[in-house]
Amino acid sequence: MYRLNIYIGSSAVLLALVGLFLWIPQDTGTGLIVHVRRQVSIGDALAPTIGFTLMAIGGALLLIERRKRASTEVTLPPFLHTGSLVAVIVLGLLLMRHAGPGFLLVAEWFGTTDTEYRLLRETFPWKFIGYFLGGVTMIGGMASLSAGRLQARTVLIAGAVTIGLIALVDVPFDDLLLPPNGDY
Amino acid sequence: MQPLDYILAGIQAVIFGPAAFELLGVPIPLTLVMVFAGVVTGILVGATPGLAGPMAMAISLPILISFFGYNVEALLPVLGFLIGIMKGATLGGAVPAILFNTPGTPDAYMTTLDGYPLTKRGQSRKALKVAHLSSVSGDTFSDIALFVCAPFVALMVERHLDFPEKTALLILSLSFIAAVIGGSPGKGLISVALGLIAVFIGGGEDFYPRLSLGTDALAGGFSIMTAILGVLIVGAVLKEYEDLWHRSNLSTAPEQIVDHGDQRLSRAEILRIAPYIGQSSIVGTIIGALPGIGTTLAAALGYQLGRARHERRRPEGAPAFGEGAIEGIAATEAANSSVSGANLIPVLGLGIPGNAAAVFIILATDSIGGFTPGPSVFRFSENVVNTELVLVFGLFTAMLFANLVNWTFGGAFMRAATVMVRVPKRTLLPVVLLLTFTAVYAQEPSMESLWFTLGFGILGYLMRKVDMSPLPFVIAFVLGASLENSARQAFSATGGDPFFLFSSWISILFLAGSVVTVVLALRQKRTKSTQA
Repeated sequence: MYRLNIYIGSSAVLLALVGLFLWIPQDTGTGLIVHVRRQVSIGDALAPTIGFTLMAIGGALLLIERRKRASTEVTLPPFLHTGSLVAVIVLGLLLMRHAGPGFLLVAEWFGTTDTEYRLLRETFPWKFIGYFLGGVTMIGGMASLSAGRLQARTVLIAGAVTIGLIALVDVPFDDLLLPPNGDY
Repeated sequence: MQPLDYILAGIQAVIFGPAAFELLGVPIPLTLVMVFAGVVTGILVGATPGLAGPMAMAISLPILISFFGYNVEALLPVLGFLIGIMKGATLGGAVPAILFNTPGTPDAYMTTLDGYPLTKRGQSRKALKVAHLSSVSGDTFSDIALFVCAPFVALMVERHLDFPEKTALLILSLSFIAAVIGGSPGKGLISVALGLIAVFIGGGEDFYPRLSLGTDALAGGFSIMTAILGVLIVGAVLKEYEDLWHRSNLSTAPEQIVDHGDQRLSRAEILRIAPYIGQSSIVGTIIGALPGIGTTLAAALGYQLGRARHERRRPEGAPAFGEGAIEGIAATEAANSSVSGANLIPVLGLGIPGNAAAVFIILATDSIGGFTPGPSVFRFSENVVNTELVLVFGLFTAMLFANLVNWTFGGAFMRAATVMVRVPKRTLLPVVLLLTFTAVYAQEPSMESLWFTLGFGILGYLMRKVDMSPLPFVIAFVLGASLENSARQAFSATGGDPFFLFSSWISILFLAGSVVTVVLALRQKRTKSTQA
């Protein structure tokens, strides 16, 4: 933690300086104070300027805080483990987004249907394909990754739980849309 | 309307509001059904290690809003459910702490110290009864404090604070939260700053959405749901998984619980624990009323004070604190439960959330509309009906009903919730994650929102990883827009005075308080580091 606090403090100060001297001046429509028709009002840049100033103060405080050398160390393996979990989530979200339209493309190749996903997004089974595959990937993938092995039982549980969530969210609530159907 | 009329109108809004169903021809009020469901959900969630009340509140809120819609009639059922979860979770948190030495919620850690030794002595049911009695007593005491104090706080604020003072008060609240949460004022300030910057992206009054990098994705800003659910839930899930990874070689099967002996709680025992419950209830209520200081500190303080008292009065042969003293469970559970009602004093009186649960109460009112927590809700106007005040008394009625459910069925639900501790975390956590994504999508049906939620989740994970509390981020995100609006109004009202924050003694006092809070926290940390 000893060195880590120095890294966090330095990064915060650096980010604050970038925000104050590059991002805010380049990316806000009005300055700190605006004069419109002889009226003075607060401009759009003031609030983020305060935000970045607070960040700089926080970073500086962290640098001057008296630290004890704690035994806790931040090592790479846990980050890699979390990184792989995030990769599974990303895969799940991508499947959620593209599996339904993808299956429709395949169906079109086989000549079984000739329509667009938007028209099918509220019909069975199309409205569930993306959510089901994405959900099973997310639950099964994360649980398997954490356990260190892929078991058929885990996939079955993931499937059952995802179907349960569909029943919980989609069946009783007509107005709720499961991902990705709201995007179409 | 007179004050009594408002109270009656609030009770009627609950009792004679929309009915959920009819039982033998009698309509059952929807709000009461939702409170009941919330309490049961809360107890189950609290009893599940790795889950917490705010998690359940966060996931259920978008789904509830989508179901009930954006109208004033939805407020009481939705808030009733959320408050039910909040109250139930504090009760449920004691279950795994007592039975399996695993706190269901962080504030239940102290309960393990005496609860688990009692379980090992075959007295688990008695320990659960003590936890139930203490928790519900503390909660009820805290609610009474809320009912009495919130209107006075609100009236004081309404009478004495104008825009500059309100802006200074928001600054004081944020500084206080930054300074006291997480033990490092530096990290607290960075967390607050990140929350403010995130909420300011895409906002502003100019045609160009500020800090949007010219992209459409950032032009609309981040929605409150993606930011809060991402940082609080997705971040917690990722961190929990990492902790599981660390503990993977240490996990052991839960022990078999065998009870023997008299499990009843005698009158003498109730009288013995009563002073501990009273003392901790006061401590928890005072801590709960201050923004940012959570239930964990209340539980620790209640336990320490209880131990000091027990050392002085312990009869010969009675177990000491940490060895299975029922007074230890009473002191902890009364303290952590008495935080929940008092937490709503700054929410209802000032519109400032003090903890994660309170954030979701504000979020619910914000999303549904028709009710803006803050000093104006307590305006007892005689000629025109203040509907917000009626809603407040409706909310108080819902809280009292939640307490009644906890008093009557809470003990039975606690015992039933013991099964939750056996739910495998590895499977439960991704289910929570999928539910979170589903809830975000229900509120904001676009895949973009899910990507933002994941992004905020990674931020939340990194914050936890470096011991930076995400709560200041969340509260800053919630209060950021109000702070800016309040400052704009104060600036205009003072005719463009750049020193508007120093225009009155009250705001100067608040600003000085902000600086003093951070400096004191910094000095305290330095002293602790020197002693270590």
